[in-house]
Amino acid sequence: MKSLRMAKRHLPKFLESLGKWGKVYVPVKLGKNSYRWEEFDGEVDNIALDALRTVIPAKKFFYKPREVMFEYDKTNGYTQACAECEEDVILFGIHSCGIHSLETLDNIFAGKYVDNYYFTRRKNITIVGTSCMPDKHCFCKSMGADTVDEGYDIFLTDLGDDFLIGVGSSKGDDIVNDNPDIYEEVDESTTKRYLEFRNKRDESFELVLDTSDLPTILDFQYDNPLWDELGERCLACGSCSMVCPTCYCYNVDDTINLDSETGERWREWDCCLFRDHALVAGGHNFRENQGGRLKHRYLHKQQAYLGDFGRTACVGCGRCIVACPANIDYVECLKAMRGEMTSA
Amino acid sequence: MAKPSIGVYGLTGCAGCQLNIINCEDELLDIAAAVDIKSFIMAQTGNVECEIDIAFVEGAVSNEKQKKQLLDIRERAGLLVAIGTCASWGGVEAMINDVPREVAKKDVYGDTMKDNPFYDCFNPMPLKDVVKVDFQIVGCPIERPQFIQAVASLLNGNLPLLPTYALCTECKFKENECLLIEQDKFCLGPVTKAGCGARCPSNNIPCEGCRGPVFEANYASEVEIMLEKGYTKEYIAQQMSTFAGTISAEDLGARKLVKTDIP
Repeated sequence: MKSLRMAKRHLPKFLESLGKWGKVYVPVKLGKNSYRWEEFDGEVDNIALDALRTVIPAKKFFYKPREVMFEYDKTNGYTQACAECEEDVILFGIHSCGIHSLETLDNIFAGKYVDNYYFTRRKNITIVGTSCMPDKHCFCKSMGADTVDEGYDIFLTDLGDDFLIGVGSSKGDDIVNDNPDIYEEVDESTTKRYLEFRNKRDESFELVLDTSDLPTILDFQYDNPLWDELGERCLACGSCSMVCPTCYCYNVDDTINLDSETGERWREWDCCLFRDHALVAGGHNFRENQGGRLKHRYLHKQQAYLGDFGRTACVGCGRCIVACPANIDYVECLKAMRGEMTSA
Repeated sequence: MAKPSIGVYGLTGCAGCQLNIINCEDELLDIAAAVDIKSFIMAQTGNVECEIDIAFVEGAVSNEKQKKQLLDIRERAGLLVAIGTCASWGGVEAMINDVPREVAKKDVYGDTMKDNPFYDCFNPMPLKDVVKVDFQIVGCPIERPQFIQAVASLLNGNLPLLPTYALCTECKFKENECLLIEQDKFCLGPVTKAGCGARCPSNNIPCEGCRGPVFEANYASEVEIMLEKGYTKEYIAQQMSTFAGTISAEDLGARKLVKTDIP
């Protein structure tokens, strides 16, 4: 861990240098009020540095919405298809919650059966994080994901005229050593401004969720009628899951070609709010109604994952709140379960 | 072993789904190699109406003659697959099913229909209202890759695995801005079956629901969302019935899910 500072005017040079380590991806503005990860086009002005949440989070770089796992052939057997697996990718502009979400996914995909599709890509990805200022939907602080001490190669904190450059890995060190002229040592003023930034950001959180004792409370609230009320509003459209940086469920399906000899095995993002998710042979469904499916999602984030890995699976990015057409609000719902007055 | 036999038929519809089969130009020879096409009036001569393994039927049923034809196809076919939204949900021709047919006919044709048997029609209905349907390939028109995938799966004894979730999921795959939430557009994505690759929203056009409802379509919630955005009840009902007019207004407003039992 070392810290440097870089004047903002050097950002183009910094990004140019990043290009030596692979393809650089940045958040860009999309439509009226959305952002998307896209390949850097060389224009610094096109980077949405103020973007808080892209429509789809960074997970799409390791874990594709729909991808071929392998191709099969009656005579030649299986061929693993992972065309862009060996591509070096640099993510510039991921925030603290995003970096925490990668750790959350790493835990899952490194489980009993290591997921090579995920890790082959993951190891080739360079993480360059940037600081942010929360909006009314951000609750990462409540989820303990508002700051990062590890999990990145470089982290840029916006201090006005310059960035504080946090170097978090040896690859990060290589990157700053590639262009030593643009960095300066931190000084007293940097420290002062950094602490000011931290305090200001800390005070900016409007959305707060008390997570203490939440797993127990959720246990007690298992039969709360609110689950079914929310289930009646839920469209099962899948948006909350698709945009969630820590949702990882997938579905596997085989397709066959007209020759009846060759085909492909696919996997595709799935969602526990879908009817088919808990549907088994014979038409039996473990979660028959929508309220039960919604409850399952919440309980998995705040209870089951925590039991396995010691922290909640939610990083508080606010994407599911923004993306729900029916205005179902994760935080409001959990507040209601805690007995706090809300509009859920 | 003889090749499995198929037939492709059209009832009331624009024939676009059948055309899309013919448009599978790169795969037509493979299709012809894999199956014995007994009947496909739009594509070939010398058709034989005999027992077939799979019947693909496009269009809604809108008169007695078609009803009889469909019953005959069902009797001869091992599997019956509805192709397109008309065959599955009634399609655009069912959008005014809430207007009495006699009134609608009079409005459109005036006195010219007098004594002409051609006008003897009833409210268009999906195939499932007349016969047992084994599978639906929805779409207006159907997607070519899905038709080919369905044929290949059926040839191997499997029901095809086409998307069963809502369009929103596919729209998210495309990383589009949500037109419903961010632009307050009238979008039927949350209640419409995916499979088109979110073609319209990817081009900044809200979903019109041309693929028909998702398996458990929560129309009630969609109606509430649209009312909140300021759309009138009449407008909402009109939009929702464009492609799925056979779902009654009662179902659209009620607090219940519109379910279909066909995969």
